[in-house]
Amino acid sequence: MKLRSTSGRLRTAMAGIAVASVILAIAGCGAGGSSQGAAGKLTVLVEGGGKAELQPIADLYQKETGTTVELVELPYDGLYDRIQTELGSGKTSFDVAALDAIWLSAFSTGVSPLDDLFTDDVKRDLFPGLVTEAQVGGSYVGMPVWTNSEILYYRTDLFGDPKNKAAFQAKYGYPLVPPTTWKQYKDVAEFFTRDTNGDGQTDLYGTDVKGAVETEWLATVSQTGEKTMVLDPKSGDVSIDDADHLAALNFYTSLLPYAPPGAAQLDWAGAQNLFYQGKLAMMRFWGHAYTQTPANAKVKGKIGVAPMIAGPGGIAGVPGAWYLSVPKATEKQAEAKKFIAFAYAHNDLSIKTSLGLVARISAFESQAGVAGHENYPAILTTLKSPETIARPATPKWQEIVTSVLTPMLQKAVAKGANNAALLKQAKGQIQAIVK
Amino acid sequence: MNGLETRRRPTRVILWGTLVAVLVLYGFPFVYLLLTSFKTPLDAIAVPPQVLPSQWTLDNYVAALSKEGVVPALINSGATAVLSTAFSLALGVPAAYAITRYRTPSGRIFVVAALVTRMVPTIAVGAPLVETMRRLGISDTTIGLAIAHTTISLPLSIWLMSSFFEAVPVELEEAAKVDGSDRLQAFRHVVLPVVSGGLAVTAIFAFLASWNEFLFALLLTSVRAQTTPIVIANFQTQFGLDWGGMTALSAVYSVPVILLTLALQRHIVAGLTLGAVKG
Repeated sequence: MKLRSTSGRLRTAMAGIAVASVILAIAGCGAGGSSQGAAGKLTVLVEGGGKAELQPIADLYQKETGTTVELVELPYDGLYDRIQTELGSGKTSFDVAALDAIWLSAFSTGVSPLDDLFTDDVKRDLFPGLVTEAQVGGSYVGMPVWTNSEILYYRTDLFGDPKNKAAFQAKYGYPLVPPTTWKQYKDVAEFFTRDTNGDGQTDLYGTDVKGAVETEWLATVSQTGEKTMVLDPKSGDVSIDDADHLAALNFYTSLLPYAPPGAAQLDWAGAQNLFYQGKLAMMRFWGHAYTQTPANAKVKGKIGVAPMIAGPGGIAGVPGAWYLSVPKATEKQAEAKKFIAFAYAHNDLSIKTSLGLVARISAFESQAGVAGHENYPAILTTLKSPETIARPATPKWQEIVTSVLTPMLQKAVAKGANNAALLKQAKGQIQAIVK
Repeated sequence: MNGLETRRRPTRVILWGTLVAVLVLYGFPFVYLLLTSFKTPLDAIAVPPQVLPSQWTLDNYVAALSKEGVVPALINSGATAVLSTAFSLALGVPAAYAITRYRTPSGRIFVVAALVTRMVPTIAVGAPLVETMRRLGISDTTIGLAIAHTTISLPLSIWLMSSFFEAVPVELEEAAKVDGSDRLQAFRHVVLPVVSGGLAVTAIFAFLASWNEFLFALLLTSVRAQTTPIVIANFQTQFGLDWGGMTALSAVYSVPVILLTLALQRHIVAGLTLGAVKG
């Protein structure tokens, strides 16, 4: 009896599975939308955070041309694997891909040249660093679609406090203003590092020092005036142990006394949170974050922004740009390039998106004086600076970052680190990677 | 008796202590995920991390579930997992039965070969699968992804079911044959009911393998068949990670497998026991 009952349940379960299988097999598709690859349709691969940037452009393109633009959203790390796999297979499921700047050289052989899109007018309206970065092996392989840069964030309530102003003037001999140079930054960081509630513990720090990410140190390298960041990708010469890199690392680590402990593990999210919790007076961070302060942040409404600070060479950041590229394997070459030209022409549509990032200088300039976009002038100034240069165009860059630069920085922010020795060691490791 | 109880007490305390420690070790990450899903954005990335939210909120769930593509992805995940489980059982059960009952040299080679496929890195299979699915015209379809997932779960299904069939005495089938059943009838009416616990175990492992799979879903789907693990990973962007949204969707995504495991718990335990008592 029990056997029969179990058998009956089993049959029912199997029948259910079979019915579900048949239904789904007949459908032969998923719940996510219409089929791809159809005529009058372009498929664009884009990183999760970038979909919102492109959506208004895709919508307008569809309205004006009748061509549907399907934005396929993939996680940041997965996007690289997906593109690499498909370009390697010689056939792609996408017609356009949004590529991170640091991937351009790795994928340059699999994407079509866009030289005809880079007219003089186009190049004039793009930041010099982005134009340089877009060119790999003598051809333009991607059109900038949005860009970011680190800028300076500071607490307006602290900087505007008359007591702080007077005390700073008395101690340092010049007015308390958002710093523009390394010296000023260090002075201000030192000034604000204090115990505010009298419990004997420091609870406000002048700045943070990020040891778990490399980009901020690279910006510091550019601030020295260095023109060969880490290595020259053409010759393979590694410059990471030269005087400018050492000066940058020395300045970077000289801020440790004015930063919260745990620098070796501090990344973007950690630094951002320390600032939002009111534990930092200043922070160097990506420009887009200005419009994304959480409502319950202690510093909400008390944040000012300024261009990235300048070292001996001048103001410099690292361009965090994304590019639209066309895989050689797509049959829709002309349509894909047409979309990219359209995206460039309507770049300003991305201003009102969640990230609010654009690529064209004119799009940034269009928001001058517009409330809520105070970060634009700071980004603009930083990206326009001649010292702001792109990261080296080498397919090995990601490996260099992961296995050399980040570990080196984590050691550099440790107590008693020998910066010169660390840079020399890093040079050897990078030479081994690029040889 | 009381003396025996007294002597056993320290052992029990140690066992219970170990059990609690193991439970905490395994359970804490999930509990932390659950708690984070109820935190405000600021609490979610607090330095140092805080376990309990300072302010409880359902905003993360509202935001995550209203995000474009989340509901279709949940449907896709379910459909793909059900299909893949069905394929896995439909192919794995007869294969395992044949291997254990006929005991041919080719069967032994087959079962070892099935195990070897488990050793191949998924990414090595992924690239050729992309091209194969495209040629077959089933790229970005649920059925295509389910077939890909079956390549992962089928070897395990064959091995699991083989061990369960081994535990069923041949005499049971012979008795059924004496009563007039042919081999197929004996298989359907005698053997399969006996290994129903094993089937449940195999099904749940196949379901979980598909439900949680990421790499094939990343490589083989775009819009139509994209599954939830990809959507969850989309909360990580170049400029940051939306912990609230990611943990809320992860919590929601965990519910079906928790319910499935609870529903099939009796069968799972029975199935595991069946495999364990083989003499």
